[in-house]
Amino acid sequence: MIAPNGAPIEFIHNGRRFHIHAVLSHWRKSGGWWSRINESELIGENVLDAINDNPTTIWRVEAAPIGALTTFEIELDEISKCWQIRPTSRSA
Amino acid sequence: MNFTHLRVASGYSFKYGTAHIADLVKRAAEFGSQSLALTDRDSLAGVIRFAKECEAYGIAPIIGVNLSLEQKKYRATLLAQPGGLSSLYRLFTALNFQEPDGVINSKFLAKNSMHLEKLLLLHGPESQLVAAIKANRNSEAYSIFSAYKDFFGNQAIECVTHQRAGDGAFSTALAGKSLAFARDKRIPAVISNAVRMLDRKDGPIADVLDATRNLTPLSARTVERSNSEAFLKNSEEMKILADEVARLAGERDGKRLIGTTLEWGELAALSPRADIGLGGIHLPEPEVVGASNQSEAKIQLRDRCLREMDFYRGEKSGEKLARQRLEEELSVVNRLGYETYFLTVADVVDMAKRMDIRVAARGSGAGSLICYLLGISSVEPLSNNLIMERFCSVTRGELPDIDIDVESARRLEIYDAVFKKYGERCATVAMVETYRARHAIRDVGAAMGIAPMEIDLIAKSLPHISSRNISRALENLPELKHLNVNSKILKIAIDIAAKLDRLPRHLSMHPCAIALSDIGLYDRAPLVSNRSGYPMLQFDKDDVEDIGLLKLDVLGVRMQSAIAYAIKEVERVEQKKLEIEKIPLDDKLTFDLIKSTRTLGVFQIESPGQRELIGKFAPNSFTDLIIDISLFRPGPVKSDMISPFLAVRHGLSPIPRIHKDLDEILRETEGVVVFHEQVIQIIAKLTGITLSEADEKRRELGDLAGQQRVCDWFFPAALENNYELEVVNKVWEILRAFASFGFCKAHAAAFALPTYQSAWLKSHHTAAFFAGVLTHDPGMYPKRVIIDDARQWGIEIAPLDVNKSEANYRVELTESKTRAPFKAENLKSTGSELVLPDARGYAIRVGLSALNGINEGEIKSIVENRPYIDLADFIYRSGAERPTVEGLVKVGAFDALHHLDSNNLNRRDLILHLQDIYKLSSERGLAGQLSLELEAPKLRPSGLPKLSTSEVVKNEIDLLGMDLSKHLIEFYGEFLNSIGAIRSCDLIKERSGSSVLVAGVKVALQTPPVRSGKRVMFLTLDDGFGCNDITFFEDVQKSCAALLKNSWLFLVKGEIRRTGPRGISIRAEAAWELSESCERWRNLK
Repeated sequence: MIAPNGAPIEFIHNGRRFHIHAVLSHWRKSGGWWSRINESELIGENVLDAINDNPTTIWRVEAAPIGALTTFEIELDEISKCWQIRPTSRSA
Repeated sequence: MNFTHLRVASGYSFKYGTAHIADLVKRAAEFGSQSLALTDRDSLAGVIRFAKECEAYGIAPIIGVNLSLEQKKYRATLLAQPGGLSSLYRLFTALNFQEPDGVINSKFLAKNSMHLEKLLLLHGPESQLVAAIKANRNSEAYSIFSAYKDFFGNQAIECVTHQRAGDGAFSTALAGKSLAFARDKRIPAVISNAVRMLDRKDGPIADVLDATRNLTPLSARTVERSNSEAFLKNSEEMKILADEVARLAGERDGKRLIGTTLEWGELAALSPRADIGLGGIHLPEPEVVGASNQSEAKIQLRDRCLREMDFYRGEKSGEKLARQRLEEELSVVNRLGYETYFLTVADVVDMAKRMDIRVAARGSGAGSLICYLLGISSVEPLSNNLIMERFCSVTRGELPDIDIDVESARRLEIYDAVFKKYGERCATVAMVETYRARHAIRDVGAAMGIAPMEIDLIAKSLPHISSRNISRALENLPELKHLNVNSKILKIAIDIAAKLDRLPRHLSMHPCAIALSDIGLYDRAPLVSNRSGYPMLQFDKDDVEDIGLLKLDVLGVRMQSAIAYAIKEVERVEQKKLEIEKIPLDDKLTFDLIKSTRTLGVFQIESPGQRELIGKFAPNSFTDLIIDISLFRPGPVKSDMISPFLAVRHGLSPIPRIHKDLDEILRETEGVVVFHEQVIQIIAKLTGITLSEADEKRRELGDLAGQQRVCDWFFPAALENNYELEVVNKVWEILRAFASFGFCKAHAAAFALPTYQSAWLKSHHTAAFFAGVLTHDPGMYPKRVIIDDARQWGIEIAPLDVNKSEANYRVELTESKTRAPFKAENLKSTGSELVLPDARGYAIRVGLSALNGINEGEIKSIVENRPYIDLADFIYRSGAERPTVEGLVKVGAFDALHHLDSNNLNRRDLILHLQDIYKLSSERGLAGQLSLELEAPKLRPSGLPKLSTSEVVKNEIDLLGMDLSKHLIEFYGEFLNSIGAIRSCDLIKERSGSSVLVAGVKVALQTPPVRSGKRVMFLTLDDGFGCNDITFFEDVQKSCAALLKNSWLFLVKGEIRRTGPRGISIRAEAAWELSESCERWRNLK
């Protein structure tokens, strides 16, 4: 589930549904396009626009199914709209 | 209220900012911003452009600069409040002159505290203060803040988040922490986005610029950004950021943060006119030119002009007309308040003249009688029918533009004198170098680590095109076929290079412009120091005009140096004082020389094309010369304006007559419109408006939209003046067609004067003229061609001689017999009889500087230590290095000293002797330190044969770049005679259409644009009797193009075409390499 501003609200990790209690921080990263030139399968007019940026937004959140609160990093690849979820710490 | 960006870097942050100023301002206007800042890194060069764009969009400009504070790595931003821009400029200028590393420290601030008024200081994420906050050293941060309190009226913490990861600079975390600090210490806090891009997608351009600036390939360490957030965000996007930052500082939202930002935006908003000075006029004060106030300057200008009216005395009506014209001009100048403009330019010209440096105004300024009377221009405007309105008028209301031509060799002396007198009132002007294809692809290639060879290949094959067109240019270049231009990496490189297009990359000094102003110059513009040693404005010539400074172009013209040199030679050799400004402009000998087309070395009319034109045209008067110069330009040549003119001139077609009212205007040009001045007069005549208004209309004709506007106005206006529709139609057609081709007559006249003067010198003081041309090299031809031309007038070319040669070419009197000078063939078909100069009895001594590799120190010491008794003496005392001595021996500079002609010694013996001397000294361990006490070895004949003529000529070509003792073609004399080749000087005797063989050394090969768009090659060959001008059309090029490019001795078969009295050209049918043909002929024999 995603909030109107694009931030995640709930997600499923390892088959369990987590609810986000707090966004600890969030940041954006992109760049490094020069190291991906040869991997990219981009042919046509706007080669540059396509390789240009690979923007991703990352939220560091506290989320819990029931009980145990866990910190996750949730990453959104803004081109493919692919989400990645990584637990970063486990609090008691 | 919409958001105000207080921190924006444009492309004028060289090799950092990616955005064009115009795009930034346009975007801000779309966002509805009421103001926008420009805070370039270490640069204020974009200020005037920015102010103009802002004014156009109705946005208030905020001007600031981002500078290093305390240490190179720490940066902070200064903003100017209204009334504080001068401080900002002064501070920036002082920084550039006082601190070589460009870092502001507190000592510098203390020293320059008078330039800190009304400046605001922003401590952003890269500042020392915020670095302390990041390291949790809040008390240190506060003491930094307190330390600057003494210097700056107001400071703020600038919160910036680019939403980077972690808690470093440009992270939301640090922005929040800085805000919390500001709130805690009650310091104002603002939010900016530290913009360096217009859009998110410009990231790769920023990366390439980072890599270029740091001279490293792209890598995570090189590039500054870790995402693409540093772009010009809109109000909504900025509000979201402000909210996030404020929440981290414990506030509910970012309202207060944005509120303070807008307040600061208002504090620093400037007026483009009142503060930045657009549209102002700032001329040197009357006191500088010796008047105590403006009204005295007015009197002074009038008095000076009246004093010089002598020229017009005597001719009764002439004087009256001149008086009337002067009064008109003075009243225009007075209404504009430009008295000191004219007096200042006159002052600079006077300074040059006092230093005995030749000066001549070029451009439309020659149309003004005031300029003539003040000695700025040397062309008399009334008799040449030149008008002032083309130059300066009340209607236009902008400062007129005067360029002065001076002797190239002494140009900087004038700079020195001007800077000495005008001090802080003058500066040199900048030139913004922008990215073009070549540089763009080089920088991108280097950043992306593309093999230097490949990039080099692409870069070299690119002419100077704009980088947007790289890919198209590459497709059409056959030499790049084997490069995979479509490879992914090259494609991307080319794409990025295209995005760098027109981005400023560097500020350099304008090669000839000086800006002059009043004592407030440093208050109105930022200056930097410069390798030249002259202070340079960060503004370019357009900026300088926009803020109303007097811009004077001081152009170095080699011909002026050559003329000055020739005059000095005449004075030295003939003890005759020559006042070339006073020679009559109707000298028959001068025009005879011009008509003979033997004009090599003469200003403006020496090129093959011009020689062809004057051959057809046969100019008879100074006005004809003006017309000739106006016609010989790409426009008229391309649109074939010349043929109809010549047809009328030679009586082949009648004078075209549109209306009797235009007869007077077009009389001098046979009814054909050639000059701007004629367009102005025609428009004024038909519509009854003033000349200055008509000039405005003429300027409008420059573009299509303007043409339409003028058209809509012109027809009713002319019809109302009772001209028939047919006439108006015809005139309009001419005006429209003419718009792109006409030429300013005053400008052409200013050029025609040195043309005439140099032709006059060539006909009356031929040897001195050539000495000047050879010394200052003003033209397009290599020296060997000029030498050969000199020989044809009977001048002896005296070889280098260590006891006689000076640094430069000198005239000597000689008794020796040379060949008879060239005489013009005077035939029935060649029109009037021509008398050409006879310069027998004169010699030109080759100067020491002609020797390849010799340096100024050697020349000076050789000349100082003269005379020498022999080679050994020369080696010991002259101070010349061994290669120089060897060179001098090989080209015969010791022949006379050792009487090689009369005893049985030769140059080979001298070379052996030279080796012995050096060997002896090195054996005694004194290499390089020759001692006078050493006894030199004896010079004796070795029995080796003399150098053959071809060896002598080869040495001359290798060491002097010219064949002095024998023309190269003479080696083929027998062959050429046997096949019946024709000398260039005899071509005129051949009938038009006959087929001829000619030969010669390549002088020039040109492929200018022609009307049909087809490539035509023009080859000029010198055969020792003059030049052959040969045209290769496309049909012959296939077989010859490569040969023409790669060889330099030719035999050409072609058809003669004769046009006009002395116009000759050859249309090539075939061409061969001369030595090969000769070889084959020998084998056949």
